[in-house]
Amino acid sequence: MEMIAIGLLGFFVLGYLLLAGSDIGVGMTLPVLGRADAERRVVIAAIAPFFLGNEVWLVAVVGLLAGMFPDLEGDLLSGLGPAVVVLLLGWIARDMGLWSRGRVDRRSWRVFWDGAIVAGSWTLALTWGWILAGVLAGDVAGPTPVRAVFAVVIAAVFAVHGLAFAALRLRGPARERARTLSGPSGEGATFGLTSAALAVLGVLAGLRLPLADTVADAGTLAFLVPAVLIILPFLVGAQAWVWWIFRHRVEGPSYL
Amino acid sequence: MSVNGETLELARWQFALTAGTHFLFVALTLGLATLVACVQTWATLTRNPVHARMTRFWGQLYVINYAVGIVTGLVMELQIGLNWSGLTHFAGNVFGSALAMETLVAFFIESTFLGLWIFGWNRLNRWAHLTLIWIVTLTAYASAYWIMVSNGFLQNPVGYRLDGKSLVLTDVGAVLANPNSILAFFHILGGALVTASFFMAGVSAYHLRRGHADSEGFRRSLRIGVGVSLPALMFTVTLGGMQFDIPGQSEQAFKSAAFGGSAEEVARVQADLVARFGPGDYLPPAALVDGAATLMMAAWAVMMLISGLSVLLMSFRRVVSRLRVWHWLLMLAIPLPFVSMISGWVYREVGRQPWAVNELLLVRDAVSDLSPGTMRLSITAFGVVFAALVVLNYWLLARQARRGPEGVALGAPTAPDERPAPAAVTF
Repeated sequence: MEMIAIGLLGFFVLGYLLLAGSDIGVGMTLPVLGRADAERRVVIAAIAPFFLGNEVWLVAVVGLLAGMFPDLEGDLLSGLGPAVVVLLLGWIARDMGLWSRGRVDRRSWRVFWDGAIVAGSWTLALTWGWILAGVLAGDVAGPTPVRAVFAVVIAAVFAVHGLAFAALRLRGPARERARTLSGPSGEGATFGLTSAALAVLGVLAGLRLPLADTVADAGTLAFLVPAVLIILPFLVGAQAWVWWIFRHRVEGPSYL
Repeated sequence: MSVNGETLELARWQFALTAGTHFLFVALTLGLATLVACVQTWATLTRNPVHARMTRFWGQLYVINYAVGIVTGLVMELQIGLNWSGLTHFAGNVFGSALAMETLVAFFIESTFLGLWIFGWNRLNRWAHLTLIWIVTLTAYASAYWIMVSNGFLQNPVGYRLDGKSLVLTDVGAVLANPNSILAFFHILGGALVTASFFMAGVSAYHLRRGHADSEGFRRSLRIGVGVSLPALMFTVTLGGMQFDIPGQSEQAFKSAAFGGSAEEVARVQADLVARFGPGDYLPPAALVDGAATLMMAAWAVMMLISGLSVLLMSFRRVVSRLRVWHWLLMLAIPLPFVSMISGWVYREVGRQPWAVNELLLVRDAVSDLSPGTMRLSITAFGVVFAALVVLNYWLLARQARRGPEGVALGAPTAPDERPAPAAVTF
């Protein structure tokens, strides 16, 4: 039961890193990919149908932590303290940028919210780098230069991951720009590599956490684990439906 | 555990501000999703363009409010672990599972399918598209249910055993069927429908007063709003009243006593708690609890008058189109359900003080051991951001509502002039 609980948590962590990593990365590289206002709108259309469904993987992680690892949830989140606050602020800025940019037809409005998307995405990536580096070092509180360097490297992985995703979703000049920065091996290979890198990071971070010692009481797991296992195929199926509907390259702007 | 008094006060204020704000977003989202789903069902069945336009217009307002509501919800979700780790340590085994179920069974599906509903417009089969909004609505209900299971446990803990320093889940069924959760859940559902129906009636009245071109759509919308508001108000008050009768709850006893203004009863509840838990002040601020309950019910009474009158007026077509005084009344009534909802929230949540988990864990023992500096950073940051979000949301809502169905981007077919500009155009 405990191993299944840990496996479920890992599944959602990796899902978040790989999926949300791509929309965060596209947000980070938005000024590079979309030079003009209309072009940026098309770049955003590459992630538009997915980002809402991607970020809920993290919400699910927090839910699973609260339900299956309550002690760890409290210690981890309050131990990370300011990093969690910064993460949330970046998340809010990025999301409000995405939702708001198309709501008012004024150039300055869109420039402002595009700025929020880029700044929010960088904040998210750097904070994830910071948090992952802290967990890997086994010390979530201590700021060190090594940790800062590590955070930047992880953020760069997010950015390259986003570029590869953009290259897979876009056409024309924006795609060419995404491909150039992705390297010569082709965007599919790059996406595979960055995915593997993010997955390895997630697994290593998980191995550093005292998961087995903080797992919830048997009575709780006896209810939660089967319930989550039953619902899991529906969750993955729902997401797969979204990926299937939007499997083709972007043709034009979306609602955002 | 004894934490810094300032940390505690700041953590309480932060929770009250963020949860209260989030609750106001939820109130509109939950009700409006239902009304949009009903309008879209009618549009899908009849293929009537008026209803299709109505779906897109009300759907757009719903999406704006949902998007801002969702980010306030993210803060809620992480805040519990961040600021209230004492609660997760103590009650996580019971309380945490409801939160876990909420994220997976409800929110995960809701967000995934809402994305598909928004971005899959004109791409999906219309029946599949209709199914999506119903799944979104039902999972929103499920989300509210699981949150009320968590909250109901804090108000009226059941199905647990105290094992050393923390609680252990012993009876899932009792937790899921907690009468405190179930009644509050339906009470809130009713309140959400009241909120959305007054919103729909008020916005429609604005356009009818101005003689909008799409008057047919707004006449219909006004009738839906008014027609839903009356039964929703009665349903809500019934479920509210039933909550007074849940037996064997000290916080409920206190809430009734404070609301009844009976000093003797209040003193008796306090004496009883001192006898059981040792010396201390176990009473929430009575004036605030009483005042909130009074305001909630006063707002309800005013809404009831407006709704009753409106149900009579709406059967006359000329009145619906022309009676400007009534249009003004409906517009001015839009904030009333929000006032009632937030008062009810204050009544319920302040009435539980000083307990985080009623009679098991005090709020001061639930707060994380954070420095006041960290808490000041966090409350300042979230205070500013939430204020900005509230202003942004209601400004965008009012703007979109005033513009009417013409400027709706949701579900609009992509116009040729919106194609990507050539790469040469840079700035």
